[in-house]
Amino acid sequence: MENDFSKPQRQSAAGIIIMAGYSIQQVVRALIIPFIVFAVKAERAHLLYFFAGAGVLVLLTLIYSYFNYLKFTFFLDDKKQEFIINKGVFNKTLLTIPLEKIQQVNINQSLLQKIIGVYSLQIDTAGGADKEVSIKAINEASAYILKEHLLNGKKAEGTPSLDEELPKLNTEIPFLSISPATLLKVGLTSNYGSSVALLIGFAYALFHNTKEILRAFDTDNGQVEAAIEKGFTIASIGFLVIAVIFILLIINIIRTFVKYYDFKISKHKHSLLISTGLLTKKNTLLSPNKVQITTYSQNYFQRKFNMLNLSLKQADSGNPKDPKDLEKSNLSIPGCSPAEKDEILKMILGNIPNHAKTFAPNFRFINLPIIFSAILPVGIYIGLWLNIPEVKPFYPLAIAYFVISIIMIYFSYKRHRLMVNQEFIIKKSGIWDVSFEHIFPHKIQAITTFQYPWHKNVDVGHVNLHTAAGVIHFKYGSYTEIKNLVNYWLYQVESSDEDWM
Amino acid sequence: MQEFTNETIDLENLPKYQDVVLTAPNPKYWNVIVINLSIILLLVGGGLATLFYLVDDEKPNPLYLLAGYLLFSALLFTIHRLSFKKRGYALREKDIIYKHGLIAETTTIIPIHRIQHVALDEGITSRSYGLATLQIFTAGGQTGHIHIAGIEVEKAKIIKEALVKRLDLLENLTAEQ
Repeated sequence: MENDFSKPQRQSAAGIIIMAGYSIQQVVRALIIPFIVFAVKAERAHLLYFFAGAGVLVLLTLIYSYFNYLKFTFFLDDKKQEFIINKGVFNKTLLTIPLEKIQQVNINQSLLQKIIGVYSLQIDTAGGADKEVSIKAINEASAYILKEHLLNGKKAEGTPSLDEELPKLNTEIPFLSISPATLLKVGLTSNYGSSVALLIGFAYALFHNTKEILRAFDTDNGQVEAAIEKGFTIASIGFLVIAVIFILLIINIIRTFVKYYDFKISKHKHSLLISTGLLTKKNTLLSPNKVQITTYSQNYFQRKFNMLNLSLKQADSGNPKDPKDLEKSNLSIPGCSPAEKDEILKMILGNIPNHAKTFAPNFRFINLPIIFSAILPVGIYIGLWLNIPEVKPFYPLAIAYFVISIIMIYFSYKRHRLMVNQEFIIKKSGIWDVSFEHIFPHKIQAITTFQYPWHKNVDVGHVNLHTAAGVIHFKYGSYTEIKNLVNYWLYQVESSDEDWM
Repeated sequence: MQEFTNETIDLENLPKYQDVVLTAPNPKYWNVIVINLSIILLLVGGGLATLFYLVDDEKPNPLYLLAGYLLFSALLFTIHRLSFKKRGYALREKDIIYKHGLIAETTTIIPIHRIQHVALDEGITSRSYGLATLQIFTAGGQTGHIHIAGIEVEKAKIIKEALVKRLDLLENLTAEQ
């Protein structure tokens, strides 16, 4: 393939297969259950038609993919600094992406792509536009050069040709790579939340699909529910809890390995090149000035292992409910040592923040949580205790809940801190995972301050700093100090001409 | 720490957002609120009344219901009136300030060169009073936006023009550099 992107060009010819592969995958995914049901229920004679139909479907997909391939062209308009994509068989689409709006370019390789030997290139744009742009089949060298062009815009005009570019790609020495041993530790110590969600999702899917198949055979008489109920009565709760924790840890470790196997970060001109993944290799090129919030966090176990999690948040497309989007704009680096953390912070932030003034919240911080999370539930329990004799034996649980919630609230209060110096704003928070969020004042989009009337006399107030990657809250601070800080930040934002991305 | 305490002296002399004199929304906007609220209350009241006559079960005294409804309406109007009184906005050279909120007195400040776009919204009731809502959007998500209701259309247009122009100006400046 040529490496002059200024003329319209097609994808690598292997793209036909890739596109057909994806389309077939989608069709299969959508129709698998009806297919199975049909195959089971239909008579022998009809099965022939069934397979003929499936064959026609595959053929149509191939033809469609071929036209799709023909109609998909892309080029780089150097003068206007735009990347232009033409696509669509029936509906023609012309996509124009100004280079300055591109915030991240990913080069990925799925299993199918690995077999054929091509890569996909995916362009993430900032702000509102949720049009996701991707080129499904492109060879490695072109992918990297195009990526460089897209991210550096004008600066890349004088980039050397392919011959000079390639050796550089190969000789990059990663300044951070994570070993399997570290990944094991990461798997044991973090991200429980998402694994729990996964487990619940999996259990639900299992339950649902088993029922679906049984229904297909007209034999669903509630066996699944009965089996579960029986399982609960046989297995003691304690055994179940241990089993769940065990499964959870296993899932966590597997997930960590799949996602972060062979995790490497290297410096690539002005950007960071992050590559990771066991089954599918994911390469992300990230320019440090597009990072909005830099966070590192550590829990008790991680502190014992002397490691931290780091996450780099970029501008999201303004749709916080989309977890896929959140994941895309949120890059995390699991299990780095304090020295490596400092190294990355230095790359992203310019230097390591020090000498900051710390602001602590007023003790009123704990009032509402104590009332709503500790006193109210226990109060309800006491109410029940007085009226329903059956709940009486559970009082140790209520006491334990009360004590634990008070301790958690106390820690959340102790760890709620805001650190400020001329260059940075750092927010510390967390109960179990203690995190430090770093932002530059010039990444602030808007500031909100508020105060409740009953806090006027005690000079307590709150401030929210809105950034393109989320809000930083500081609650129950001294309102006079907050107002001074806000004036200072406004001065910093409004007097500098630094761009937020 | 040394460096920061140096800055604190400067802090005292910085322009203070909390001392800016705010412009209240046009008093006529109160009429708009009253009309909108009345329409909603009438609809809700009508719906409840039909429901009341359709359901055949034992009925409580309709007078009590009416009293409750009126009390609720009065409360709603009071809350809106009080919150209306709290609203104010100001356009500074480099940012825009909007204060609102009955219980939590909230002040939002958006630096002008962080504005993504500005919209002018005229509802039916507002338009008949010559008023408009100015909506200012940032990249900071839902909570970082400002909606200032009850500005005279002419004035709103001027503010919008001023904001947009300064946006252009800033962009040109950075483009030239």
